[in-house]
Amino acid sequence: MSAYKITEHKYDVVVVGAGGAGLRATFGLAAKGLKTVCLTKVFPTRSHTVAAQGGISAALGNMGEDDWRYHFYDTIKGSDWLGDQDAIQYMCQNAPAAVIELEHYGVPFSRTEAGKIYQRPFGGMTTKYGEGPPAQRTCAAADRTGHAMLHTLYQQSLAHDAQFKIEYFALDLIFDAAGACRGVLALDMAEGTLHLFRAHGVVLATGGYGRAYFTATSAHTCTGDGGGLVARAGLALQDMEFVQFHPTGIYGAGCLITEGVRGEGGILRNSNGERFMERYAPHYKDLASRDVVSRSMTIEIREGRGVGEHKDHILLDLTHLGPEVIHEKLPGIAESARIFAGVDVTRQPIPVSPTVHYNMGGIPTNIHGEVVQKVGNDPDKVVEGLYAIGEAACVSVHGANRLGSNSLLDLVVFGRAVANRAAETIQSGASHKALPDDACAAALANLDKLRNAKGSRSTAEIRLDMQRTMQSDAAVFRTSKTLKEGCVKMDKVFASFEDVRVADRSLVWNSDLIETYELQNLLYNAVATINSAEQRHESRGAHAHEDFPERDDANWMKHTLVKVDHKGACSFDFRPVRMNTLTDEVTSVPPKARVY
Amino acid sequence: MAEFSLPKNSKVQKGKKYPAKAGAKNLRTFRIYRWNEEDGQNPHIDEYEVDMDSCGPMVLDALIKIKNEVDSTLTFRRSCREGICGSCAMNIDGNNTLACTKAIDDCKGDVAIYPLPHMPVVKDLVPDLTNFYAQYASIKPWLRTQTPPPPDAERLQSKEDRARLDGLYECILCASCSTACPSYWWNGDKYLGPAALLQAYRFIADSRDEDTGARLDELEDPFKLYRCHTIMNCTNTCPKGLNPAKAIGEIKKLMVERKGV
Amino acid sequence: MSTPGMDRSNLRTPLKEVRGLGSAKSGTRHFIIQRVTGLALVLLVIWVVGFVLSLIHAGDYAHAREMLRHPFAAVWLIAFIITAFWHAQLGLQVVIEDYVHARLVEMLAQIAVKFVCAGAALAGVVAVVRIYIGQ
Repeated sequence: MSAYKITEHKYDVVVVGAGGAGLRATFGLAAKGLKTVCLTKVFPTRSHTVAAQGGISAALGNMGEDDWRYHFYDTIKGSDWLGDQDAIQYMCQNAPAAVIELEHYGVPFSRTEAGKIYQRPFGGMTTKYGEGPPAQRTCAAADRTGHAMLHTLYQQSLAHDAQFKIEYFALDLIFDAAGACRGVLALDMAEGTLHLFRAHGVVLATGGYGRAYFTATSAHTCTGDGGGLVARAGLALQDMEFVQFHPTGIYGAGCLITEGVRGEGGILRNSNGERFMERYAPHYKDLASRDVVSRSMTIEIREGRGVGEHKDHILLDLTHLGPEVIHEKLPGIAESARIFAGVDVTRQPIPVSPTVHYNMGGIPTNIHGEVVQKVGNDPDKVVEGLYAIGEAACVSVHGANRLGSNSLLDLVVFGRAVANRAAETIQSGASHKALPDDACAAALANLDKLRNAKGSRSTAEIRLDMQRTMQSDAAVFRTSKTLKEGCVKMDKVFASFEDVRVADRSLVWNSDLIETYELQNLLYNAVATINSAEQRHESRGAHAHEDFPERDDANWMKHTLVKVDHKGACSFDFRPVRMNTLTDEVTSVPPKARVY
Repeated sequence: MAEFSLPKNSKVQKGKKYPAKAGAKNLRTFRIYRWNEEDGQNPHIDEYEVDMDSCGPMVLDALIKIKNEVDSTLTFRRSCREGICGSCAMNIDGNNTLACTKAIDDCKGDVAIYPLPHMPVVKDLVPDLTNFYAQYASIKPWLRTQTPPPPDAERLQSKEDRARLDGLYECILCASCSTACPSYWWNGDKYLGPAALLQAYRFIADSRDEDTGARLDELEDPFKLYRCHTIMNCTNTCPKGLNPAKAIGEIKKLMVERKGV
Repeated sequence: MSTPGMDRSNLRTPLKEVRGLGSAKSGTRHFIIQRVTGLALVLLVIWVVGFVLSLIHAGDYAHAREMLRHPFAAVWLIAFIITAFWHAQLGLQVVIEDYVHARLVEMLAQIAVKFVCAGAALAGVVAVVRIYIGQ
């Protein structure tokens, strides 16, 4: 192995990732006086939060009666009772303050006539505990809310003089002898140099792994790096079988068309022109939660009522909204539909199909963002020094299915929470204890292997195998047969990574090497996903198992914990779902039938 | 002095040709700028033939196809592939734009792809945007207020005032505009450029921001602002259809307004 | 054309580079005067062109001198000379700022332009005045 020169840096906290959660945590930590650095593989405003469109939920009640308890109820129902109710309370109760804070930071929210933040209806958001009319709860900046938020959060980071290391790629987590996370080994992409960022705490805010699938709304950079880092460190991931398919990705291209389109009155139609959601969700129709709508669309297509040459997609009709509403509320999707579907939305419907969008699962954490593992009988044992937030994490507030606009909320609420927690537990400027001599050994061995990989299969070939397998065998509907086959295929794909080839041998901006690292991370996530799906013998939220079509609360109301070893073999354990609330301001919601 | 000829090590040479696999019929040629500091060679133009029957419609699709199937050393930034992250800005067919939203069919003949003009190149199509980002930071792009906001509620803003931010806040910092501006080419070290000025105006135009005067003070400079000679390349090239030239014009108007003719 | 290679020899922060010497708190006056003189020149040039044509039409030198001795003509011509050189100086200043980046050369060029424009304007004014007072 070549000898690598490593530059060492000492910080109080290192944040990995500069999306919404990472930025909120970074300047939160900086504001608390902790010496913080944020490592990011893309310039912060390029992070995928930028692509969020519809909005951020909070029971502000600007557009009609609302209460955070309704939001709490909806989120639990949306999660199909797999969400932890204390965490959901924490998020929903803190939502109004979080959104108001964002406004104070400068997010250019759309406005009501009274000058307040504009709120639109979104799927699964109701009033009066599912009995009332749809709630207008999703705070929006036209249909570019994520962009407006991410840019504002970066602006606040500049205002707080937060430190960034831009285009640094995290290679591996570094642990001390006691198993506490004490830093990150990272590659400066511009120079090809190695940097060890030592810290008392490492916050993973690395986002989802949508690119494990062939078609996803996710960016090319959504490669589950946090999940990969954690899995390689031998820690368990949680609820990985729950992958959200967004009902309205543009057919073919996969680009997102926000649920806000349906919030503003857009309608899904099959080849007969029928508004089929009336049959599947009589009360909330097109505004049922995403898993319900995606399944309904898939059934329509299966039963021959899809549109197009191959009858394999559905139409999203917003022609009746009128050009004014489209121009004011949905200008971004009008642009996307024009560019990627060649459609003028004022006159034609948009061809859409369910598209991989979000990972409910991830790195298990408590409500403070501290990573937890099950150790012995303790399901909530904190891994010292390691934190996770945002899509990378599984708190779990989204359970088996996330409600639209709860994800931007998740980012800022838990981004803030982790900053507060770190400030309580980490003493600024405390000395860094010596690391074991071989702390970086595994990371360097992996680097050396990948950098010099001379196998027979390119990164792109293996990636395509993985994406095709996941797309066909861990789809909207799953069966025992497809899942079993998928697990076998994914095992082979995982094994084929031993035979990977990296052609670029340079140091400076070696994107071939970075993509190979990203593939490695994706593979851990993908294997975890399909194996977790295979072992969960029920249907819940986004996990629709045709051989076990019912939810099975007696046996399966529990979080899956999965560890993936370096050969791709999975081992399972479980954590109970937390049914208790944080305080007595709201009562726990017991499981019941989920009808929209 | 402005440089009118390239330094010796910048002269672009002919590179390699990568023909398509036999049997491919619907071919397009992509002529792509390559430069790798480590191989010690001058920049060169590699030619890749791509079978359009198995390629997506956008220039980024072709770049990814080349990287996946032909030459994995080809280096470029990309992320969202839907025109919102701003990573893949480059010079395609003579114009700065986003590779992910530029249709190959909209390019004439062979598709020429270069990095954003007049930026230091890190590798291939990856420019060094450090200066560009620092310029953005230098205008202090965050809401600056003195009046405390209401403790438990949002600041109020009329719909009309909010509408004044349309066409400003949507900027994705892709740097297409600034690197299309001749004035920025000659004086990019001192002229803030259209992107940073558009963002400066985004805050000047925000009814919630209370620091308009200081913002104008900071911009009032022969170079930072007044290097704009209304060439309009910025507006013509913006892949998001924004109008930085108009925003700069608005800033100048405010400057004159507060000074008086 | 892009220039390959980043200059990493400079150890300053990017913000230090970008902020440079800060705002000069000037430029607007220049901007206004350039436009106002430009506007004035539009009107003046129309008159000057007409005047020059009529000078040609007038035929001989003596007659032309006579025309220039009209107070109205003298005032307009002086106004034109001053405005034109003023405007030219402002414009050339910008061109030099744009393209000449060697500090010393730039300073010398700026001073030279100012001297030449001021000198030429003065000479022009003196010429008109001399004709006007009949020398």
